[in-house]
Amino acid sequence: MEVDVAFLSRRGTALMRRSQRASGERVRIGRGTDNEVPLNDIHVGLRAAALVLHEGVLTIDRLDTSPLEVNGSLVETAPLRPGDEIRLGPYRIEILPPPEGCDGAIQIELVQPAGDAAERPGGGTGIGLARSGPSKRFYAWTGFLIITVVCLAVPIAVFSSGMLHSWHKDTPNAKLPSLVGLSWNPGSFSNAHRFFAADCATCHQGAFAGVADATCLSCHANVGAHSPHGVALAAVGDKLASLRCADCHTEHRGIEGSVISKASFCLDCHKDLKEAAPATGMEDVGGFPNGHPQFRATLVADAAQNKTARVQLGGSPPAIDRPGLKFEHKVHMDTANYPLLVQAGRAVKGCADCHVAEPSGQGFQPITYKNQCQSCHQLTFDAVALPWQDARVPHGDDVGVIASVWNYYAGRALQDGSSSSPADTQTQVSAKTAAALRVVFDEKRGCALCHYSTGDKGAWDTDKILADALPPKGNPARVVASVKLPVRFLPNAVFDHASHRGQTCESCHTVAAAVSNGTERLMVPNLDNCTQCHGTENASFHAQSTCITCHVFHHSEFGLMRTSATGTVQ
Amino acid sequence: MSMSDTAYSSERRGRLSRHVSFLAYDNFRYLKIALAAVTGAIVLYVAVPPYGSRYGGGWAGYTLGTVGALLILWLTWFGYRKRTYDPEHKYVQPHAAAAAAHQAEDPSRLARRLSAHVYLGLALLVIATLHTGFHFGWNIHTLAYALMCVVIASGVYGVVAYARYPRQMTENRQNLTLAQMQAQIVALDAELRRRVMPMDDAMATIIRDSLDNTPIGGSMWRQLSGHYPGCGTFQAIARLHALPDAGPNAIDENWRLLRTKLDEKALLVSRLRRDIRFKALMDVWLYLHVPLTFALLAALIAHIVSVFYL
Repeated sequence: MEVDVAFLSRRGTALMRRSQRASGERVRIGRGTDNEVPLNDIHVGLRAAALVLHEGVLTIDRLDTSPLEVNGSLVETAPLRPGDEIRLGPYRIEILPPPEGCDGAIQIELVQPAGDAAERPGGGTGIGLARSGPSKRFYAWTGFLIITVVCLAVPIAVFSSGMLHSWHKDTPNAKLPSLVGLSWNPGSFSNAHRFFAADCATCHQGAFAGVADATCLSCHANVGAHSPHGVALAAVGDKLASLRCADCHTEHRGIEGSVISKASFCLDCHKDLKEAAPATGMEDVGGFPNGHPQFRATLVADAAQNKTARVQLGGSPPAIDRPGLKFEHKVHMDTANYPLLVQAGRAVKGCADCHVAEPSGQGFQPITYKNQCQSCHQLTFDAVALPWQDARVPHGDDVGVIASVWNYYAGRALQDGSSSSPADTQTQVSAKTAAALRVVFDEKRGCALCHYSTGDKGAWDTDKILADALPPKGNPARVVASVKLPVRFLPNAVFDHASHRGQTCESCHTVAAAVSNGTERLMVPNLDNCTQCHGTENASFHAQSTCITCHVFHHSEFGLMRTSATGTVQ
Repeated sequence: MSMSDTAYSSERRGRLSRHVSFLAYDNFRYLKIALAAVTGAIVLYVAVPPYGSRYGGGWAGYTLGTVGALLILWLTWFGYRKRTYDPEHKYVQPHAAAAAAHQAEDPSRLARRLSAHVYLGLALLVIATLHTGFHFGWNIHTLAYALMCVVIASGVYGVVAYARYPRQMTENRQNLTLAQMQAQIVALDAELRRRVMPMDDAMATIIRDSLDNTPIGGSMWRQLSGHYPGCGTFQAIARLHALPDAGPNAIDENWRLLRTKLDEKALLVSRLRRDIRFKALMDVWLYLHVPLTFALLAALIAHIVSVFYL
């Protein structure tokens, strides 16, 4: 057989065709040089295939293991017609119409040259990280865009689009905006504000605006003022008025919340308040414990006039409270002073026998005659009982005392069924009343034991009192001087007995001796007592204490801190 | 010792001494500046506590934050200047201004910039950490900080890599350039191709594996690991030994020839892959350093805007 064999090769756009004749029993195609059609490529078998005439039809047979593909299918043998395409290794072989005198014609072209891979290992494209994937520039701008969109554009868009709403008790909590806010939220919420933490717009109501006081006041309307209204504070007042709520009360600072408690924050004004705002009557404070003025107790100066005075503790003259009552702790603590009452089981064993803590434990319930004194100091004046009650004068009603004694003896006179004239009876009743009142008023066991009278310097002028009061007439005069018992002696501090309850009373309060006529030194401990345990706000070996450990900023007794949305001081 | 050897070793010494010199530039001038900045930041942090807790606010906090942000911008600017630095005038500058800028650059200025970049970048880590007040959370603020940390860490890796790999690379190359190694492999491939052509198909298949399937470079992971399982050349050597008539008695001329050439190729391929691996190890950190710097800039903008927006 005779086959026309043409080799096609391309150089750029130029096409070269070289043709030759191959003849033989069969025309073998393969790598070996002994083939009729040698294909000089390692991907072609040594003797890959052969063209034969099978019953006059040009046919290709596979000779070895090289894959032979005819018109896209792998074959062992296949008849060939012009137009068929054979793939053998990197070669494409086209079947052409045989020219005159030939049994077949093929055209061979190397379509997958081995060169590319061979000329440069790795194909020349895979060396260097720049060729291994997207460029750094791609990653850089992708990251930049993602973060800008997700963490900046979307939160701003959500915030400014009005999608955010203030918290309201009737509307469900926001979900989406809380997700957006999540990326901006600088820290977790205080426990008290968590219920609206998802609704950013509850507090944040404008771009670059900060949280306005009005926002806080919408819930916290009853916050007390820092100083009494009407007191001239000069420049300090301007400073105080310019404070925003958020200057002291920070948010996003963890579940504990955060009130700025640095002493220096208070000291900014209080270090020279005496000079800057003398009207306040405040002492300068340089710090704690050093620089803190000695405590000034608020004491009763004149119970009758209802006048108080602030007196420095531990100084001279000693701080003496004058509540209008003759009272000595020492006398009560020494049971030898009242043996009969001790026999009756009424000995004062400790402070708690009289001082009853408030339910909160912070302070103590007011001392009253009924709760603290009555069980020992009973106001009976006659052993003979009427059918309805003991002969006893009322407490707290000095005018009623005289009336009740007089009424008692008048009642006795009626009960006795006296036959004498009304005038005589009145004289007898008055005489008995006067005698009884001398006992009631006396200073051994009567009113004068504890109380001062309305006479000069509190003296009891019993003769005059009786002469004025008997026989009874309208508008009787007061006979017992007013009493004013303070509940707290250091009202500007918030001392909490409950947080000190592990201590005994005596560790801070020592029972004082009388200094004059039933008065004694105040038993409220002074600054030195506190500083035994309390130190500076950064103390390592003392309890850390800052201004607001003992003092409060907002005093509701001074009225409101802010009363309008603009936040001006009233 | 030949002339070229002398030239080579002096060039090598020069390169190594420059590696030391950028860290020690001007008697550690920028190390001193960075230490001064860090000391100042710590003093500021400790000595000027805000009224509240340290949350990046207060004038000390804002100062630390501002200095940190400006440092980030300045350190990023270094990257831009470094790109325009062109000692061999390889790249045409599109703008006259940029061309003037690049002409003003000289290698010592680059060393100075690099020295400042490294030391002030490390100082930034301290300054920004103090600015955080050690408060972290799942938010944009901590994202910016974390990105900055990764950028700095990758930069530290870069310093270490630049100090370490060039020497190993030089030792590995054995005076050959990348192109020379590639050319030698090409020549070996051509010879293998030529030699195996008349041999039987079993040999041809084995050699074909080596020719077709010896990847160099490739994916980032391949370049970094230098590990190519199923490499055609190494498989070819193994298969050559597994041929039925292989072994000490099979003293076949063809077999020995192919074996020798494949061994030569394997050696070169391994060396080339190591070279590529060293280069990749020297370059890979930039794939974190540069893109994450951009992410950091975005996070920094978002951080600053969000703090003052609400």
